[in-house]
Amino acid sequence: MAKSEGELLPGTFDMLILKTLSLGPMHGWGVSERIERLSGGVFSIQQGAVYPALQRLLRRGWVTAGWQVTENRRRARIYRLTATGRRRLGAETAWWDRARLGVGRVLRAPIQER
Amino acid sequence: MSWVHGLRDRLRTLFHPGERDEELAEEIRFHLESEAARLTRNGHDQATARARALERFGNTAHVMQATREERGPSTSGAPMHDLRWALRALSKQPGFTALALITLALGIGATTTAFTVLNTVLLRPLPYRDPVRLVLMREKTATGAIRPVSFPNFTDWREKTRSFSGVASEMFVWSQTVTAGAEPLRATVMGVSSGFFSVLGVQPLKGREFTAEENRLGGPRAVMVSWNFWKTEMHGRAELGDIRFGDEKIPVVGVAPESFRFIDDADLYYPHERMPGTCRSCHNYLVIARLGSGATLESARAEMSTLSRNLVRTYGTDTEAADVEMIPLRDFLVGDYHVMLLIVFGAAGMVLLVACTNLVSAQLARGLARARELAVRAALGASRGRLARQLFLESGLLSLGGAVLGATVAFLLTRGVRFFGAGLVPRLEELRMDRSVLLFTALAGVGTALLIGVYPALTLAAGSPGRLLRGSRGSRVTVRASVWRLLVGFEVAMAIVLLVGSALLIRTLHNILSADTGFQARGVVTAALAPGDSLDLPRFERLRAELGALPGAGGAAFTNVLPLRWGDGSGPVRRPGDPLDRNWPAMAGFRLVSPDYFTVLRQPVIRGRAFTSADGAGAPLVAIVTPGIAEKLWPGENPLGKQIATNYLFDQWLTVVGVVSEASSWAMPRGGQNEIFTPLAQHSRKIEGRIVAVIRSNGNPADLMPSVRARLRSLLPEVPAKLGTLEERIARSAADRRFAMLALSLFAAIALVLAGIGIYGTMAYTVATRTHEIGVRMALGATPHGVRMRILGDAAGMAFGGIAGGIGAGLFVTRYLQSTLYGVSHVDAIAYLSGAGALLLAALLGAYIPARRSSRVDPMLVIRAE
Repeated sequence: MAKSEGELLPGTFDMLILKTLSLGPMHGWGVSERIERLSGGVFSIQQGAVYPALQRLLRRGWVTAGWQVTENRRRARIYRLTATGRRRLGAETAWWDRARLGVGRVLRAPIQER
Repeated sequence: MSWVHGLRDRLRTLFHPGERDEELAEEIRFHLESEAARLTRNGHDQATARARALERFGNTAHVMQATREERGPSTSGAPMHDLRWALRALSKQPGFTALALITLALGIGATTTAFTVLNTVLLRPLPYRDPVRLVLMREKTATGAIRPVSFPNFTDWREKTRSFSGVASEMFVWSQTVTAGAEPLRATVMGVSSGFFSVLGVQPLKGREFTAEENRLGGPRAVMVSWNFWKTEMHGRAELGDIRFGDEKIPVVGVAPESFRFIDDADLYYPHERMPGTCRSCHNYLVIARLGSGATLESARAEMSTLSRNLVRTYGTDTEAADVEMIPLRDFLVGDYHVMLLIVFGAAGMVLLVACTNLVSAQLARGLARARELAVRAALGASRGRLARQLFLESGLLSLGGAVLGATVAFLLTRGVRFFGAGLVPRLEELRMDRSVLLFTALAGVGTALLIGVYPALTLAAGSPGRLLRGSRGSRVTVRASVWRLLVGFEVAMAIVLLVGSALLIRTLHNILSADTGFQARGVVTAALAPGDSLDLPRFERLRAELGALPGAGGAAFTNVLPLRWGDGSGPVRRPGDPLDRNWPAMAGFRLVSPDYFTVLRQPVIRGRAFTSADGAGAPLVAIVTPGIAEKLWPGENPLGKQIATNYLFDQWLTVVGVVSEASSWAMPRGGQNEIFTPLAQHSRKIEGRIVAVIRSNGNPADLMPSVRARLRSLLPEVPAKLGTLEERIARSAADRRFAMLALSLFAAIALVLAGIGIYGTMAYTVATRTHEIGVRMALGATPHGVRMRILGDAAGMAFGGIAGGIGAGLFVTRYLQSTLYGVSHVDAIAYLSGAGALLLAALLGAYIPARRSSRVDPMLVIRAE
């Protein structure tokens, strides 16, 4: 998946999915479409990559999945964030904020010639 | 709880891996359709929308694979999948699977049965309270001989020891006519001292045991009954009432519990201490005692030795107990059987090993035949570990099935052993499969799985898929010829050891049965009669004449005690002038016989004469003695005409008129087993309610039995009779050996068949893999006969290796049999040669079919197939 995730930082994709699902339960297509839309097309991810990632989150117990019938009478697999998943998202967001700050500080540090 | 969802998810994967893939496919389909629909809405035409959706999705196969991998290592290992694969592999070859299951069921079944017997007889505690504290004591004479205890010594032991919390004694059983209901019947009576039941820690089911008062000369009368007697003869009535012994009514004071048994079965228990005391050198009792707190076997032994020395100081030669032999009660009850049982258990274990070996080679051969299938799986990404796991699972399944079937086989065999073995081995009536037996079976199953599974799984999974798939001959996974040789050799060697063991025991039994007994037991029918306390002599004389004249019979006689029963009616003999109460010069069994007794038994009269019909009531009292008595009483003198008395006939002096050869048996070699014979007609009051007719048969004694029974029924309808043969009695004295012999013979036969099958399998596999070579040979001019002989030669070579190993192992292992053998050495050439011969024959039989198949190889077909 690292391949399909392209330029995405390792580990961040799972975080994005958790964030997306925190907005409400949805199916795999919805997740991929929402990420694309919310990120404003910053990431060039292949949509299929959400499925292994969702499976990984399922295994860790951060999301659950179940079959439901959609408005247009189609069977779709709906993913839902669990309480553990929500806590995890909180932790990841906090970590991300700290990491972003740290990385930003380093990158913006003035370049001094010796 | 999120982990519950995760678990449920995994379980679902475990049981329905295919379903998960279908769901994923459906999910992807839904995704693509949704995306295409969105693109259509955005203005793309349908075809472009679908293409774009696919493009944006990425490689579906990759996604599916990646998702599958994310299901985690434990789920991707899919044990259920492996299990199904193994089940399928087994069900594809039902013949092999059935044979393997039967082999294992026999091996595990035999081992479990042997363990059940071992467990019951040796390992399970005796059915008494805290049985490890119970000991059995007998007298040890100055020469080291072990004798039962005399009554005065027993009471001295009981009074003067401190090591025990209780001491009691048991008198040997006797049979007596009693009346509990309407009809008189013969009952087996066991004499027990006071405290007998409480020392054993057994509570009577009803009532109580004897009081000390009841166990005293002249005290109140009392008797106890067995549970069986109470149920059948007293119909389980609550009011115990009384039992008539002759003219006397004796109140029943208690009922023993259902399971209670001590050495012999008994119907009634009688307080033996109320009988008149006997001499200090008369040996009639077994003493049991319970070690007190703080006492050990050693400390109690030391106390008893000191006590014995004191008693010898007080009573001199009156007491023969120079020391006391004290052993745990368990050792006495189980006796020498533990050697036999361990032998049988070891033999069963060897059968299981042979069965396992057979399956190892079968698994190897089968695996090699499936080499291509395994290679394909390896090429498709199954790891070696996974392949090995799957192969091992097959063996595991076979072992599981084998263990379950084996437990069933053992259940049936155990019933058979309990039925046929009752009386051959002590405690078999307690035989049952308990939790430890089931645990043993489970362990045997696990052990079997490891034995048959590990090596084939590792070997077969180690093949290189690349070389295999290229399919060139000679590049397969190979199992070196030495491995096959080793496996077959091991089986053959085990089978040889078992065959030699059973041959040695068969020869032992044969020697025991044909050992010189001083009389000819073969062909003698015995009929034990219980005529009550008085004997109507003319009627019995008529019976004797008629029995002896039956067609196929060559004479009949009576005795009160059959030969080879020295314990019965044994007491001191003396010469005129010998003191009455001490210093007995010799002990002898006292026998009452009719005139033709020695003729019927073919027991030669060495000096003087046999009894005649003239030796009747009113005629001078006469006796015939064995040589041992003559030598002890009148060394170097002519015994004929000498006077002799026994304590069975006080103050009656008998004149010795003959010397008869001594009866002996394999277990009691000649010398010292003395008997004194007197005419039945002169002492018919002394038969004590029992008499045995012995009838010489001219042919097979079994053929004579029905007419003997018919004649007894017509002449003595009111007298109970029990028929048998003398030979049977001798055989019963070797019952433990017979038990081991039967078990070993059965196991040896199974091992022989398994070894034959093993050789068949190996040779069949060899021929199959060498078809090409054989074809080329035949194309180059080898004859079918030559090819056949070559294969048979190979098989014989394999067998010879095993035979050599087996003979070596046999020489080592059968040393442990030595103590059970009689008249044959454990290095017996006949046993070894017959074992080796049987194995060689089995090997050639096993190799014959593959050899014939090899000679039918068509060289043209083989070469074209290249």
